[in-house]
Amino acid sequence: MESSEEDRGEPLSRMAEWRDVTPLPQDDGPNPVVPIAYKEEFRETMDYFRAIYKADERSPRALRLTQRAIHLNHGNYTVWHFRRLVLEALNTDLDEELDFIQRIASSNSKNYQLWHHRRWVIERLGSNARAKELHLIKNILSLDAKNYHAWSHRQWVLQALGGWEDELDYCQQLLEQDIFNNSAWNQKYFVVTRSPFLGGLTAMRASEVRYSVEAVVANPNNECPWRYLRGLYKDDIESLVNNREISSVCSKVINTKNNYIFALKMLLDLLCYGFQPCQEFRDAVVALWTSDTHPLDPDLATAICDILEHVDSLRASYWIWRKNKLPVAA
Amino acid sequence: MATRDPLDFDVGVEVDEEGTPSPSSISPPSSPLSYLDRDRHVAFFEMLYDLMPYHYQSQEINRLTLAFFTISGLHLLQALDRVDKDRVANWVLSFQALPRSRAELKNGQFYGFHGSRTSQFHPDENGVSVHNAGHLASTYCALAILKTVGFNLLTIDKESILISMRNLQQPDGSFMPVHVGAETDLRFVYCAAAICFMLEDWSGMDREKAKDYILNCQSYDGGFGLMPGLESHGGGTYCAVASLRLMGYIEDDLLSKNATSFIVNVPLLLDWCMQRQAIDGGFQGRANKYSDTCYAFWVGAVLKILGGYKLIDKIALRRFLLSCQSEFGGFSKYPRELPDLYHSYYGFTAFSLLEEPGLNPLCAELGMIDLAALGIL
Repeated sequence: MESSEEDRGEPLSRMAEWRDVTPLPQDDGPNPVVPIAYKEEFRETMDYFRAIYKADERSPRALRLTQRAIHLNHGNYTVWHFRRLVLEALNTDLDEELDFIQRIASSNSKNYQLWHHRRWVIERLGSNARAKELHLIKNILSLDAKNYHAWSHRQWVLQALGGWEDELDYCQQLLEQDIFNNSAWNQKYFVVTRSPFLGGLTAMRASEVRYSVEAVVANPNNECPWRYLRGLYKDDIESLVNNREISSVCSKVINTKNNYIFALKMLLDLLCYGFQPCQEFRDAVVALWTSDTHPLDPDLATAICDILEHVDSLRASYWIWRKNKLPVAA
Repeated sequence: MATRDPLDFDVGVEVDEEGTPSPSSISPPSSPLSYLDRDRHVAFFEMLYDLMPYHYQSQEINRLTLAFFTISGLHLLQALDRVDKDRVANWVLSFQALPRSRAELKNGQFYGFHGSRTSQFHPDENGVSVHNAGHLASTYCALAILKTVGFNLLTIDKESILISMRNLQQPDGSFMPVHVGAETDLRFVYCAAAICFMLEDWSGMDREKAKDYILNCQSYDGGFGLMPGLESHGGGTYCAVASLRLMGYIEDDLLSKNATSFIVNVPLLLDWCMQRQAIDGGFQGRANKYSDTCYAFWVGAVLKILGGYKLIDKIALRRFLLSCQSEFGGFSKYPRELPDLYHSYYGFTAFSLLEEPGLNPLCAELGMIDLAALGIL
């Protein structure tokens, strides 16, 4: 689609094609509040839009006008909605519309209306559009791997049109690039729990635990794999407590005496859920305590809260509160 | 000057492509003040109340939202005397989409408030008001502004709002913001709940279904995503918890009660919220992301509702917020950037949660002044 006169920001009042239209200024009433100092191009475009919208003119020039209005005010859902009405009336090639959205997506990738519009188009194109769509979202995510809108759209495409087969691999690729990307961890959980090809959470649990434990060992200060591990056992606390891999990675990390805060938290939670620690756990925790004057509490959970109060001092009040509430777990 | 829909949260920074200097090209100001510069904020907001610079034209569709931030912001700063209350009330009321008759309430449209004049036209000769674009978020803002300026909400046509609002609720319990179709997510469940709460009438929504939708949004890590399956997020978590509180599904100050089961996983939620305070003292919206001023409200308010706000490190938070305080007035998203209306408003609400002197107390679940605490209700 070549750029039109309207695209180039020429005043509409000087264009022959718009001569028959009387622009409709906004009526803000006699005593408006928080008036905006609109620039001339904006005011004029919206005045013409109002005229066309009121007249309900669904023509090619109306389509071009919506593009201009969107450029100036990309959150305007009224303009987007009207554009959809015009697209339907003109029976426009929706693949071209996808191209249009793609062109403006990079500067509008965090705009709800744009993504909703895209979804509207895809709903009409159906599963043929799936591969291209998943590919486009990957491109957006390659610019910002945490773009919430892109992830939301991706989840919608998978659920509406399928394409689950490669999704777990894709999550893993993203995590290889940035193991701290919480969006990718979340997507992993989404795929593991909902993909029709994977057998569900319980079936996937063992491999997911292994993956997460490796991630924890590589970066014990990364909140994501710890949350993920907990999430794998959503309502099955007993299995969480009985999983030796998880409890032993806690003691492994604590023994390094480095970046052990999340490991201590996990151990605390396990204890609150009924975990019976053997001596190695007590030894690991005691080894962290360097005070001569103040001995560590004999109760392991209490001792952990005391340590966390000091090493995670931003949350000191929270650890004191947790200590007083033992054994309620997180 | 970048700004956005109040409920857009931190789904990214919008850079104004109209030629305003990007934040990185502004030389850093002198070191942060150690106090809240209330007078400067009042002056900044007074200026916006009188005239918004052209940079806000791209937010034109959300004009009522801009008005809400401005007016409620002045109220938070104990500067509501700068506002002509009657003028504001009349202006806001002029945005209401009114049906011609009771029968029209079943036509599927939403007879709430428009957000701007973009699509609001005078009715034609037959009294037909075409292109009704009443919007849930605008309606929430309209009612909040009216409450702020002391307008008696019982005098408005609440029946039209509530009956037609049911048209927006989806089978899964979520809400669409406009009847012509748009995304559905927790933001609009929140708007619906807040509207019913302010109008003191729950006939506008099916609370049970809304509650079910909210519960489906709780993520494996305890926070809430904006839709089921999505990553847990400070804004989503606020909408979820505030809605449940407004609808009466969770009591005030849950953490001090000794109940062991709640409809949401509270210990996990609490732990998630507490972990959102980062080393720089600010709050992040999601794990492993940067701290941003507004999450001091979104996450802070959740903690307040649960009764856990006392557990945060207030000194560290205050220090972070002050580093986002702008020498021009207002607050920015990150330290040393240009201020915007949205982050300024949530900077004030964050300071109100911190009980900063010179600010009015906040109603955490409504995101505006606690009028009851002020003795106004």
